[in-house]
Amino acid sequence: MHLFLLGVSHRTAPVDLRERLDFSSRDLSAAAGAIASRPAMTEAVVLSTCNRSELYVATTDPASAREELVSFISEYHHVSTPTFQPHLFALENSAAVAHLFRVAAGLDSLVVGEPQILGQVKEAYQTSATKRCVGPVLSNVFRWSFGVGKRVRTETALGEGAVSVSYAAVALARKIFGRLTGRRVVVVGAGEISSLTAQHLRAQGVGEIVITSRTHAHAEELAAVVGGLAVPWDGMTNALGSADIVITATGSQRPIITRTQLEAAQGHRRGTPLFIIDIAVPRDVDPAVGEIEQVFLYNIDDLHIIVEENLSRRAAEVERAESIVNDEVTKFMAWQRSRSAVPTVVALRQRFESIRRSELQRLEGKLGALPPEARARVDEVTRLIVEKLLLEPTEQLKALPDEETQAAYTEAVNRLFRLQDEDASEPSKRP
Amino acid sequence: MNTLPLLLYAAAGVAYAIHFARRDSAVGRAATTLLLFGALVHTFVIGMQTMEVRHLPFANFSRAVSSFVWLLTLSYLYLELTTDERSMGVFILPVIIGLQLIPVLHPGVERADPVLDSPWFWVHVSSLLFAYASFALAGVLGVTYMLQFKEIKKKHLGYFYTRLPSLQILDIMNSRAVTVGWVFLTFGVIVGAIWTAQARGIAPDDPNLRAMSIDDPKIFVALLTWGVYSFAVFARRTLGWTGRRAAWLSSVGFAFAMVNFLAINYFVTTSHTFY
Repeated sequence: MHLFLLGVSHRTAPVDLRERLDFSSRDLSAAAGAIASRPAMTEAVVLSTCNRSELYVATTDPASAREELVSFISEYHHVSTPTFQPHLFALENSAAVAHLFRVAAGLDSLVVGEPQILGQVKEAYQTSATKRCVGPVLSNVFRWSFGVGKRVRTETALGEGAVSVSYAAVALARKIFGRLTGRRVVVVGAGEISSLTAQHLRAQGVGEIVITSRTHAHAEELAAVVGGLAVPWDGMTNALGSADIVITATGSQRPIITRTQLEAAQGHRRGTPLFIIDIAVPRDVDPAVGEIEQVFLYNIDDLHIIVEENLSRRAAEVERAESIVNDEVTKFMAWQRSRSAVPTVVALRQRFESIRRSELQRLEGKLGALPPEARARVDEVTRLIVEKLLLEPTEQLKALPDEETQAAYTEAVNRLFRLQDEDASEPSKRP
Repeated sequence: MNTLPLLLYAAAGVAYAIHFARRDSAVGRAATTLLLFGALVHTFVIGMQTMEVRHLPFANFSRAVSSFVWLLTLSYLYLELTTDERSMGVFILPVIIGLQLIPVLHPGVERADPVLDSPWFWVHVSSLLFAYASFALAGVLGVTYMLQFKEIKKKHLGYFYTRLPSLQILDIMNSRAVTVGWVFLTFGVIVGAIWTAQARGIAPDDPNLRAMSIDDPKIFVALLTWGVYSFAVFARRTLGWTGRRAAWLSSVGFAFAMVNFLAINYFVTTSHTFY
């Protein structure tokens, strides 16, 4: 049985094609069921996110599995084969295992280390599992991949640090204020980043969000999006007086918030920290504002530097994460080989045991005269001899370095001991 | 007797440091467990000494230090367990370990003095030790606040940024510790004055009691310390001295408290020489 993977990802296909091949908008389990019921394939998991659509299957014949999957994709999405064929990538066995582990670890993501992917992999597996579309091949490799994802997250800093300007701003706010519940936010000037930041802050449970803009319609628009309150432009100074977090993003050519103005506005609440995020270029906030004791002033460049630092810190962790993935792939493959050696080992043991029993039986006449303790001793000694003889071969068979060697050894053992039994059913428990 | 707690504290200190550097939560839990064991054994030691002399072991310098360490450890554990914030451990454990060395290296014998045999005296010493323990926590919180503040203000988000709790939490914890400490310091000083007046009636010729005045460095620095913390409490509420200024004040205050508790006690005091 082979593990086979066919799919498209952000590395191989442009976004419009990925959108057309997206499974997640429709019933995932139906798709998995349809694949698994095709003749060449016994198991199927469909992993579909905005950056990838990947079909993992168990098959006896990868070549025909590929053909069937291609025609399935074409039928399912009503896309002609030549449109997507050049963008497909296909992987088998250990390469497919390595790919899945890298995906689960967040190494294959567009933003390396992003946290959602592991949950998406788990969900894809669960969906197939509830539809009974997974068997020993996929369930083992997927469940192993969850462990890999977790290990990479705990042992490396791959997912640490905000990697977008808006998240970096929120992370900073949390370092200043702790929990953001009930904090008052003032947004001056509506723009894309200020809108995103305000939405992230809203998700963190901030209190009132007051929005003001020279064009009042813009303020109202943003207020509707983030659930805030739009106030007229001349109400800005007033709003600043009770703000904890200020986001500025106007197109003004000159600073709109000066030190004296802010000190006057904040006068009665000395001592409370104020976090100002100045996203505008040119800057909206006079740099002198940052000199006020309890004011933390960050402009767009400062935030970009943080993002860059976090990205390079993540990049520095990639190597460690990759080596964890490699380590896990090796372990998984070795574990699989040791499992596939099990039938041979079992047959070998049965053979030895039957020889021992038949020899004991043959001597029954002579042994019958012995007292029961002595007979028990004979039984014990012969059993131990068999155990000891088998110990080393068993270990060796389980620890063979690759599949070819394993096939050769299995064949040799089968011939040498005339083992009848070849493919016993695979046990399902992990050691 | 004080050695076993010291060893456990030292082990906890190492674990806190590893936890801080590697941010490994398993090591962090181990650190807390070690510190809890240390505090438990220390409680036993203090309990034994209390049974031996029939009051808390304060009337000897090294035993008073040991009691102080014990109170500090308990206060810190309270802080850690109520906030679920372990990163302070690496800052407070050096204080605990360093001070616990004193009773281990110079074990002393309790002096039985009839003058000290008054409930006022014991209330006086225990309030002050508890006040110092609170100030020690506040001082450490203040130092960490300043480290964190500097990184965020200067936009160099580095080593401490990723490890310390938020400024707001540090500030709130600092404020609580200072307030609690100030209340106990005030109370302890008042009780001390009452006790002195009472004891003078019993033993008018005791040289210690005769020296009880503002001229004694110990009393002078104690009042100075009280002044610093009173200002800290007042300034936070009325002048808006929170955050970095409050953090700075609590560090300075703790420096005064420690000078008084260790150096002055040892070398220059004329009134508090009961050992």
